[in-house]
Amino acid sequence: MKKVVSEISGIVFSIPWLMAKDYGLFADEGIDMHFVKAQGDRENRVTFNPEEVDPILGHTPYEDKMVSIYRA
Amino acid sequence: MVRPDSPHNYPGTLGHKPVAVSFHAAAHYVALRLLEGYIPNEKINLVSYGSPRRRFEAMLNGEADACVVMEPWITLGEKIGCKSLAEGHYLGAENASDDMDAETFAAINRAVGRAIDMFNADKRKYLHYMIDAPDFAEVAARYGGVAPEDFHLPRLRYTKDTYYSQEIVEDTYNWMVRWGLLSETACTANLVENRQEAPVAVGD
Repeated sequence: MKKVVSEISGIVFSIPWLMAKDYGLFADEGIDMHFVKAQGDRENRVTFNPEEVDPILGHTPYEDKMVSIYRA
Repeated sequence: MVRPDSPHNYPGTLGHKPVAVSFHAAAHYVALRLLEGYIPNEKINLVSYGSPRRRFEAMLNGEADACVVMEPWITLGEKIGCKSLAEGHYLGAENASDDMDAETFAAINRAVGRAIDMFNADKRKYLHYMIDAPDFAEVAARYGGVAPEDFHLPRLRYTKDTYYSQEIVEDTYNWMVRWGLLSETACTANLVENRQEAPVAVGD
């Protein structure tokens, strides 16, 4: 089994991934899938200025190389 | 989406009114795409609140006149009487790091594709993933919660990986440059490597 770590962000984007893990579909493909939560609350400041918000948003696990795949 | 008692019934009255989004995320881009068809650019007044929960709550408590949210927040809002003024969809994608080999990426996509087939065959069966998500469930519980029957299923559109045409890439790129969301120094030709075959038109 090959270990893969994926980021999980908004639940609506994640359903097929959660199902694939829960129903053994990743395992069928030889993938040992692990999930790390995106840091969704990282950019919760209230602002009118887009330049005050880091466009990386909560995808810091990907930027920090903790995960190898994410959805956007 | 606006509050049940909101005077707004279509996007054209939202000029200068704060609309809760999350900058540099889908809610930001979809808001611009939906509002620019109704009001001049300079009257669009987006405010970044971050997470869908914070956007939804900012709308409900009156800090913002409207919010941009996705499911399951749309279903919750509609259940408590909020009004949807416009609805837009966008293309989501998987983003893999450079060190992921093609075989692993293909295996992941096959597994996710099988899950998509399962979901599309019986959508309500799997809505518990959304309904039970802790951050959502906590808020939904205040309003009596939501059930699988409350969802408008055609809104949930999961598809397998498909061809992403250069035309769509360039249209999106030009739109983002026009709004100052992307530097013109970015090269569209190098952004997408299509591994899917272009669809063949009937009759070709």
